[in-house]
Amino acid sequence: MIHFDNVTKVYANQNRPALDHVSVDVDKGEFVFLVGPSGSGKSTFLRLVLKEERPNSGAIHVAGKDLARLSNFKVPHLRRRIGCVFQDFRLLPNKNVYENVAFALEVIGKPRRFIRKVVPEVIELVGLEGKAHRMPDELSGGEQQRVAMARAFVNRPMILLADEPTGNIDPATSIGIMKVLDRINRTGTTVLMATHDAAIVDSMRKRVVELEDGKIVRDQSRGVYGQAY
Amino acid sequence: MRANFIFSEVWIGLRRNLTMTIAVIVTVAVGMALLGVGLMINSQVSSMTGYWTDKVELSVYLCKKGSPFEACRDKSAISQEQKVALEGTIREMPEVESVVFEDAAKAYENFTTSDSNRTLAAIVKVEDMPESFRVKLRDPDTAAAVTERIEGQAGVSNIINERDLLDNYFGFMGKLQYMALGVAFLMVCAATLLIGNTVRLSAYNRRRETGIMRLVGASNVYIQLPFVLEGVIAGLIGGVFAAVLLIITKIMIFEGIQVYMPSPLGWDTVAAVITGTMAVGVLICILASFITLRRYLRV
Repeated sequence: MIHFDNVTKVYANQNRPALDHVSVDVDKGEFVFLVGPSGSGKSTFLRLVLKEERPNSGAIHVAGKDLARLSNFKVPHLRRRIGCVFQDFRLLPNKNVYENVAFALEVIGKPRRFIRKVVPEVIELVGLEGKAHRMPDELSGGEQQRVAMARAFVNRPMILLADEPTGNIDPATSIGIMKVLDRINRTGTTVLMATHDAAIVDSMRKRVVELEDGKIVRDQSRGVYGQAY
Repeated sequence: MRANFIFSEVWIGLRRNLTMTIAVIVTVAVGMALLGVGLMINSQVSSMTGYWTDKVELSVYLCKKGSPFEACRDKSAISQEQKVALEGTIREMPEVESVVFEDAAKAYENFTTSDSNRTLAAIVKVEDMPESFRVKLRDPDTAAAVTERIEGQAGVSNIINERDLLDNYFGFMGKLQYMALGVAFLMVCAATLLIGNTVRLSAYNRRRETGIMRLVGASNVYIQLPFVLEGVIAGLIGGVFAAVLLIITKIMIFEGIQVYMPSPLGWDTVAAVITGTMAVGVLICILASFITLRRYLRV
């Protein structure tokens, strides 16, 4: 589903590469944690999957597409198959829960009848039934992240990228967020989650890829966060 | 495409940026109105040039008693034989199309009926008026050669090419036209920058929305169209104001001076000018929006 082959990314005006000859394979339906300290290249990895950045060398395949040969014109179609969740939720403050989720479908031109049908389903999937007409500032951080996940998942993407989704949320609430991610994963969606949160990684027992200074130092199925080599 | 979604975005953008939108509308209106006035003067000048080129004549004035002109001084008035000989000479020239003799009475009549001579008309008598041959040329550009050949003839006082008189007038109209077009050019530049700035502000105000749109895979058209439409709508409103200004100009100024003009500026010309300026205005808006979006809304 995601295939990195010897990928190197050096940002302009920096001599140290953000990713240094990274090769990773993520299969369809996998749940993968991307761990490592700040600046180790986790976010760069996610941005490369979205083709927000281009690698300096190496090949990236996402959902069967070679990103180097994907024209700019087709990048939006790639992104429709990838959902994204961030630490800072990125909700629209002037739209309620329903409208925030529906926005993702409106802007890719889905018909209104379809939107009316699927949005309530997804709101229920993330556990926000009955709160569809709340505004984001009326919700807790955990609930806001659930809205963001509903928005990321409403178009049934093949891949869900989560960049520290529990970074702004207390540990008890984080468990609920992880349950939603697990539920999404069980529908067959590949989940790639970058995180610092050792407790969550340890409790989930999923595949762990650890980055340090842009290099992969560990790739372990059913791994933990710590140094369990 | 969800038209109502795009239009609600456009409406939000225009409302949030109301002051900038008004600035764009005013600049576009003034710029396009000046461009239109320049074009209207241009069309007036060319239609009048065509009109006058058909009518332009050489006036060959003849010596009379007491004439102050160099060629006739200390000589008596032109004799009847000289007159006939001169007319024959002129008529034989290959460049000449026709020759008409204008006697003092006819000249007096033309002089007194012309609007521009009212004060003088009161004191001028028939005897003061000169006699002349009105020479019409096949090609007005041969005037200099013809003038040179007639000048030496006995009894010729002086020769006036009517086109020289008109050149002053056309020169003035030309300057007016270049001035209007020059100011219009500056206004168009200002409008382009203003529209660019407005679109940039709009894009900045809505960076959250556009960021999410990018993320969920909205196509470039969907992301950029609302911003481009904002520019186009502001440009169109400005164009409507410009059209009103042009119609007022036509009624107040062009109709006012038309009394002195043999070929009036028609409403069809005004309509064409309005269409043209509107097209230019909208085109500028689209271009400015696209160029700005390429810089500030990278997809």
